[in-house]
Amino acid sequence: MPRKEFQPLQAQEIARAFRQQRVDYLFIGKSGAILLGYPGTTQDVDIFPARSVENGRRIVKALRKIGFAISAQLEREIIAGKDFVQIKSGPFDVDLVFAPDGIQSFEEAKSRSLIEGVFHVANLRDIIASKRASARQRDLIELPLLENFRAEYEKKHPQPLRSAAILAKGRKNR
Amino acid sequence: MLEGSARSDYDFITVTQRDRKALNEFRQQCRRQMDRPVALRIKYGFCRTYKPVLDDAPWRSFDTMAEYRAWCEANLPEYLGYRRAR
Repeated sequence: MPRKEFQPLQAQEIARAFRQQRVDYLFIGKSGAILLGYPGTTQDVDIFPARSVENGRRIVKALRKIGFAISAQLEREIIAGKDFVQIKSGPFDVDLVFAPDGIQSFEEAKSRSLIEGVFHVANLRDIIASKRASARQRDLIELPLLENFRAEYEKKHPQPLRSAAILAKGRKNR
Repeated sequence: MLEGSARSDYDFITVTQRDRKALNEFRQQCRRQMDRPVALRIKYGFCRTYKPVLDDAPWRSFDTMAEYRAWCEANLPEYLGYRRAR
């Protein structure tokens, strides 16, 4: 079955549509790592959204705006925040992963997330933790490469030092 | 026996050096890819291939990740790699 090639513009479209609709989300999985510069390939876009009725409604609006066919039943599933929703009825494939393996909460992951242009991406350590927890054959094969990429990424983008006051504030806000 | 054992040691050293070389090359590749603009990372990083069963429904949803994993185990061809490692 021939399928259209994924265009760079499409990734930017989803990021822009999510921003316009104020969707609370992170790119996760290998697609997230690729946006950060991981030299691998993937076939779909993995999104880790915050689970709430309002956020679900915003996701539906954003996806419809960029050409996804969202039926009434699929809309209900997204708004309900089912753990895993796989959508192949649009210009590219999207997995909505509301409860990725190996990550405790959306808020924690968001506090550690990275920004790459218009893209909000989960921290590589969270992406790796999630892949490790899933224990799928395809993920375990990839883990050593992802770990090496993380080492290079963190060398190039060292985390800024944070004062004790900022760290304490972060703990208080959890 | 002695000969086999000596050859094994030699093979081990060769493989280790080869692994180290491959690792260094991969790390160089990472650095090159990080230097590329995001649009190029997307161009090289996203590709589409038809995946049997997985691509044959417009959407599906699962109440829990465990349910999704079980579905993958039961329905997807093993070569797609979605099964859990044993």
